[in-house]
Amino acid sequence: MSAIALNLQDVTSGYKASIVLRKLSMTVSGGEAVALLGKNGMGKSTLLKTIMGYLPKKSGTIQVNGLDITHAPSHQIARAGIAYAPQEHALFQDLSIRDNLRLGLPKVSVFDERFAEIEPIFPVFKSRLKQFAGTLSGGEQKMLLVARALMMRPSVILLDEITEGLQPSVIDRLAQALLWERNRRGTTLLLVEQHVPFALKVADRYAILKQGEIVDHGDAKDEGAAESIFGHLCV
Amino acid sequence: MVLALDVLTTAAILFIVTAGLMVIFGVMKIVNFAHGALLTMGAYASFVVTQLKLDPWVGLPLALVVGVAVGMLVEQVIVRPLYKRPLDAILATWGLGIVIGQLIVMAFGREVQFVETPLKGAISVAGIEYSAYRLLLVPIAAGLCLLLTALLSGTRFGVKTRAVIMNEDLARGLGIHSGRIRFITFSLGAALGSLAGALMTPLSSVEPNMGLAYLINAFMLVMVAGYSMVSLLATCLVFGACQVLVSTFVSPVLGGLTIAVLAAFTLRIRPQGFSHG
Amino acid sequence: MAKVTASPGNVGIGQRAADNRMRHIRGLLLVGGPAIALLIAGPFLFGTYLLNVLIQAFFFSIVAVTVDVLWGYTGYLTFGQSAFFGIGAYAAGLVFTHGGFSPSYVLLGLGVAIAVAAAVAAVLGWLSFYRGASPFFATVMSLVLPIVLSQLLLSGGEWTGSSSGLTGYETFDLSLQAWYGIAGAGLLIIATLAWFFVRSDGGRTLVAIRDNESRCQYLGIDTSLVKIVLLIVAAIVAGVAGFGYGAFSGVVAPELTGFVLGTQLIIWVALGGRGTLWGPVVGALLINVVTSYLSGSLPFAWQLILGAAFVAVIVLLPQGLVPLLARPFRRLAGAGAQPILVERAVQARSAQGASEPALQMNDVAKHFGSLKVLQGIDLYADAGELVGLIGPNGAGKTTLMRCMSDGAERSAGRVVLCGNDIKQLPPDRGVRFGLGRKFQNANIFDSLTVAECLRIAGTLIEQPSLFRRSNSLALPPYALEIVRATGLDRKLGTVAKDLSHGEQQALELAMVLALEPRIVLLDEPTAGLTKTERTQIGSVLASLAHRYRLCCLLVEHDLDFVAEIATRIVVLHHGRIVMQGSFDEVVNSELVKTIYAGTPQSAAGHGSANHGEPS
Repeated sequence: MSAIALNLQDVTSGYKASIVLRKLSMTVSGGEAVALLGKNGMGKSTLLKTIMGYLPKKSGTIQVNGLDITHAPSHQIARAGIAYAPQEHALFQDLSIRDNLRLGLPKVSVFDERFAEIEPIFPVFKSRLKQFAGTLSGGEQKMLLVARALMMRPSVILLDEITEGLQPSVIDRLAQALLWERNRRGTTLLLVEQHVPFALKVADRYAILKQGEIVDHGDAKDEGAAESIFGHLCV
Repeated sequence: MVLALDVLTTAAILFIVTAGLMVIFGVMKIVNFAHGALLTMGAYASFVVTQLKLDPWVGLPLALVVGVAVGMLVEQVIVRPLYKRPLDAILATWGLGIVIGQLIVMAFGREVQFVETPLKGAISVAGIEYSAYRLLLVPIAAGLCLLLTALLSGTRFGVKTRAVIMNEDLARGLGIHSGRIRFITFSLGAALGSLAGALMTPLSSVEPNMGLAYLINAFMLVMVAGYSMVSLLATCLVFGACQVLVSTFVSPVLGGLTIAVLAAFTLRIRPQGFSHG
Repeated sequence: MAKVTASPGNVGIGQRAADNRMRHIRGLLLVGGPAIALLIAGPFLFGTYLLNVLIQAFFFSIVAVTVDVLWGYTGYLTFGQSAFFGIGAYAAGLVFTHGGFSPSYVLLGLGVAIAVAAAVAAVLGWLSFYRGASPFFATVMSLVLPIVLSQLLLSGGEWTGSSSGLTGYETFDLSLQAWYGIAGAGLLIIATLAWFFVRSDGGRTLVAIRDNESRCQYLGIDTSLVKIVLLIVAAIVAGVAGFGYGAFSGVVAPELTGFVLGTQLIIWVALGGRGTLWGPVVGALLINVVTSYLSGSLPFAWQLILGAAFVAVIVLLPQGLVPLLARPFRRLAGAGAQPILVERAVQARSAQGASEPALQMNDVAKHFGSLKVLQGIDLYADAGELVGLIGPNGAGKTTLMRCMSDGAERSAGRVVLCGNDIKQLPPDRGVRFGLGRKFQNANIFDSLTVAECLRIAGTLIEQPSLFRRSNSLALPPYALEIVRATGLDRKLGTVAKDLSHGEQQALELAMVLALEPRIVLLDEPTAGLTKTERTQIGSVLASLAHRYRLCCLLVEHDLDFVAEIATRIVVLHHGRIVMQGSFDEVVNSELVKTIYAGTPQSAAGHGSANHGEPS
């Protein structure tokens, strides 16, 4: 059952004049979780933004579940089954938690049902649906992000440094939530991370990005994975 | 008593004129300085109806249609590229206002025009004769307020619109077609502006620059009122009352300045105006 | 120890200065040459009608220059400069009509023009540029002024001539050619002075304010004051131009003060090219001349074309038409050379009681309505300490930093910086007491080069010239270290927004240190940095505290980072300080473990992560 969920072929993209991704190719099978690691400025966030259509592709193609989204506008890409949690400005601070969760859904009527599903994983939101998202703490906001993504019932989830700035207990919760989701629905995951232990825990495979190209990859559950990764990150 | 009626009707007029600007500013955070020209356009739509000897009430839907059409065009061509440059949007729409004004002059000439009023005569209220048309504007304003409030807070469209304005990229990433939302909002605002112009024709002279005076006041009111229709209604009442009082008891010239000056000081003391923080 | 970094080309300071001067002269000649030629040849080439038009256009162009400085450079969209122009014009009209014409009346008129313009500008500035004012509001105020003024003039009856204005008063008996020379020379002088000013080191502050006003405040610059002073000067210049216009034309009408002229000025500047200074001058002149010729034959079409061109330029070509046309000439002028980095000895600190802590907070609290974000904060920090502020998310760490730097932020309690109570004072005062704050996101000036950012950062110590561009850039040793270690010294000419994330963070830190602060607040300094960059920052911060005796406070999540360099740890939880001590004490305490640790598994997970990382 592992059809290819995400397929990137020779994708080149960047900001205005500068090129960040160079002819990058990668495939993620359905139900797989891949961690993208690498130093800062190496193109990890850019890759996610390119997939989501925020950055124009100078060349190459991207397919999601066989559907070509290379030139599609962002909202269509989201509707094609990709849930994206950006690193910054990921929530509507002045809207309630409920509204933040609702906005990703195709129809308001499914809210209650889907919220009930994720409620056991994120119990903290149930009594605070009317609260403004901006008043939540950093960790709670990240949890809200993941909750929103889960409620969209996507086929692919893209996470950009979801663990940034979080304390270990919250990181743990998130890892569990993501593993739960994968078990439950076989969702494909692509996570950009700096927190290597978290990445290795959640992912099946990892890939290291350097100067916009994949320079190494491997099995996340390998014994020597962590060491090999750190080798790349420190040079 | 006349004073009270004056205050109510002035507030109603202010609200009707400002509603369109409010929809666009409050929701899109862009000040549509072409609002005055749209008003003028709507007024001239009424004039055309008069020329064609049709029922004056036809002027209203005509103004709406013209407003929507122009609004759609303007949004695509001018407003969309300037979404990230709000101060420039003020300028571009002001330029647009000039262009529309000149087109109107070229089409209709500079003279003041006469427009047939839909509701003539006066009504007796508490023993005083008062213009029927002016009084009609009060329930119209109230109805408009209700309609718009319901639209923005109650509907899914309203929430999506607010989301788009807070963070368009994020909204798009969640599957919201932001382009469509902005398009609809702007067209709605333009239509309201045009409608307001048509509604104003029985009360003021129809000439190419008529929208300008309304524009400045509308702009100041919008800045003070914040983001909700209800607060706009309240602001119109308060400031309208002040304007009437100053005009009646001090001088009409200073009365015309009241709103602008009062708004400036209000904003200085309380930057968020009358909105809830 | 004055170390001088040489550029890759190994050019000495003297040679640089000579190169710079040549470039300046070349640039000046390119623009100034034709201008002076036109000025001298004008009276012989142009007929009476054209001379008349040009003289008026010169006066208008002077105001256009002020609009460009205020809007193009400082980012303050103003429709109000016409009001000051009108004040000057009416000063001439009123004094000459109701007084008479003589040298003393001329001086009186000029004096009135300047005084009234300055006073009105001061009031407008006070109303528009207060702390927290939005740019919209300032623009709105600038709109209200001409409206109010023209209404007042219209209702002024006999005194102001109402809608017809004042005419036929006695004025200077000068030939058209003489007026041409005066007005033209005036424009040239003002434009040249403005040119030197905006290109000077101090003038770059305008762009800095436009880009990032809050950063300017946190560098100790009182931005409200700068803008008010700028507005007053611009108003005086516009007022004097107006006086000249009134004296020349013999007619003053309310239109000169109104909203329409105000917007026309904006249109000229926008079409000419905002932020270029000479673009608006050329634009204003050209449009005025063309309008005078076309308004007879194509009255409506010309206005239409102008309006449409204006819209098109705003939407498609925001930088204006003239810079586009002049692009080929840019090559000739050449790129500017970069300053040389020089070390500057840290200023001897004024005698501050050694017993007094650098930072003192007593019973500080902060609430948002009923939500208590901080309560009962008592915190002391001394020079030479490196205090790590840790705590779970939502504990109030960033709020605490804000309360330390901005007097208006806290709801209760007392904050004392280096012996000075910050009371309700804005951040720029806190900076003057010795505070430097580095924000979590790289908070720099996007349109300025690295060198310009650093120079402005040092404003409090070394006021940049309002006229010249210095050839050297002096930085305290610790700022210099950062600049060199991160390679920014090779990128002095790079515009800040083109730097990588890590470089921007380094730049911001260097800017904060250029202030020579005594207290440095750092909000998650390692966010988004690689391991190497983290180590670099760590050693820099450590040396700041231990070697240079600064007091550093950092909010951090990376406990390993904090462990290596902090002298003391403060733990914040739910808005209260729950523990203080050395790293080992804190990390091993039961309380902190409970606060931080999730499941026992994750605590072990954290441990194994430690184990995996090479030291």
